[in-house]
Amino acid sequence: MVTLTMDGRKIEAPEGATLLKAANSANIEIPQLCSNEELEHYGACRLCVVEITHKNRTRIVASCIYEVAEGLEVNTRSERVLNVRKLVIELLLARNPRHPSLLKIAEDLGVKKSRFEAEIKGCILCGQCIRTCREVVGVSAIGYEGRGINKRVATPFEESPPDCIACGSCHFVCPVDVIPMKEKDGVRNIWKTDFPLQKCESCGRYFAPVKQLEYFREQYNLPPEQFSKCTHCR
Amino acid sequence: MEPLNVYASRLITKEEYFAPGHRSCQGCAEALAVRLVAKVLGNNVVVCAATGCMEIVSSPLPFTNWRVPWLHVAFENTGATLSGAEAGFRVLIRKGRLADKKTVFLGMGGDGATADIGLQALSGAFERGHDFVYVCYDNEAYMNTGIQRSSSTPFGATTTTSPSGKAKPTGQVTWKKNMPKIAVAHNIPYVATACSSYPIDLMEKVKKAAAKKGPAYVHILSVCPTGWRIPPDRAIWIGRLAVETGVFPLYEVEDGKYKITQEVDELRPVQEYLKPQGRFRHLTPEMIETIQERVTQDYKKLKTMTGKFNTPDKV
Repeated sequence: MVTLTMDGRKIEAPEGATLLKAANSANIEIPQLCSNEELEHYGACRLCVVEITHKNRTRIVASCIYEVAEGLEVNTRSERVLNVRKLVIELLLARNPRHPSLLKIAEDLGVKKSRFEAEIKGCILCGQCIRTCREVVGVSAIGYEGRGINKRVATPFEESPPDCIACGSCHFVCPVDVIPMKEKDGVRNIWKTDFPLQKCESCGRYFAPVKQLEYFREQYNLPPEQFSKCTHCR
Repeated sequence: MEPLNVYASRLITKEEYFAPGHRSCQGCAEALAVRLVAKVLGNNVVVCAATGCMEIVSSPLPFTNWRVPWLHVAFENTGATLSGAEAGFRVLIRKGRLADKKTVFLGMGGDGATADIGLQALSGAFERGHDFVYVCYDNEAYMNTGIQRSSSTPFGATTTTSPSGKAKPTGQVTWKKNMPKIAVAHNIPYVATACSSYPIDLMEKVKKAAAKKGPAYVHILSVCPTGWRIPPDRAIWIGRLAVETGVFPLYEVEDGKYKITQEVDELRPVQEYLKPQGRFRHLTPEMIETIQERVTQDYKKLKTMTGKFNTPDKV
């Protein structure tokens, strides 16, 4: 355990924990959009910035990737921090001015309107979908395309993704809900591709994408008749 | 959200605030629901729990399962205690004695503490518009004291105080009280029904309820293997059947607007839900037909409500 000071309070955190995690367990609120405990630390949204003082030097760091250290002094609500957060949320609002989760953070920070001209893209490039696909699902069906202002999340060559198993995790994890997923008549549509769903042998209801079940069978060496029935009839 | 369960569940925090080692029965879906709700709300929460199963199993002196501040209150005053705690916090924040940390106030109780005994205090808290989340864990009878009927017990269920016998062969003779509808009638910003067989859906709803300003109500169907007379390993399966047969549809009412969150294309016959449960063992085909009619009718009614506003004077 290491001891550090956060907003004037002495708190303890396990070694290797990030400042964000230490703050959360001490009930200090830090807004963030791209961090998930189960994913690799990434530091994309920059909303979680805090000010740290170490040996008389003060600087701004992203708390979701900065690890705790003995004797560190952290300020999560200084004027400088709030100014950075305000700028960040204004930049994010220029990309997506409507999503409630962004609007809520903006409201908490006292930002009424973005100073930047809206250039609506929807996606805020937090990368959670890409990291989930790679680390949790393990297929890497989607990735970043382009650089700089043209950077965006896309499938390879803008075609239907060959590795996608239609599990819908990217749709679930997206903080601004810009990955549409629809299910109709035994077909799941995601990434502009139709994936057929498996019909249950005994009750005739659709229960999961065929490709996802194939992926399970392949991964765990299961017999081909496994998953021919839905969870209910099994 | 249910079809996403496989990988989506791996993205959920592993932190537990309702610790393992509690004393609930095997296969208790209510304990599962409590655990999921606690997980969503995190550690910045004050819990007021009415008397009931979840109070008994989680706080046998001198132990506790709660890793967050937790108050045990009587059956009838959960709503009142909750409003008091919330108002007290608000005053301290206004006076500058507490930092505004956006603490969530969670009230919880069983169906007895919500629909029967605690209803007036809860109704008052809804009406005054305190900022809290109330979660009702509905296991359809007073299970903690030994399966006595409550107003939430469904038609035809046998309990120790509504047994099926010669005089009253149906068991429970009244229909289940529609508690979510009562909550909707208070014009509160958020009302939802959930079931622990659909964990992702449940967690999304609780998250939404906590984010809303003002009172929010979540009604969770918690399958009780002991009281419903089913094997413990069937609890999740029965919960899923309750939704798929239309007995307990999952929907939410956001600012008065109805939305069915778990669409069922074709309802399964109610018989599939009733047959595996010992508490419905005595039902004759005619009685099942009566229940089927009522369920179909209620589901149709709910469908016509979706997309429409409950009241013209939207809150």
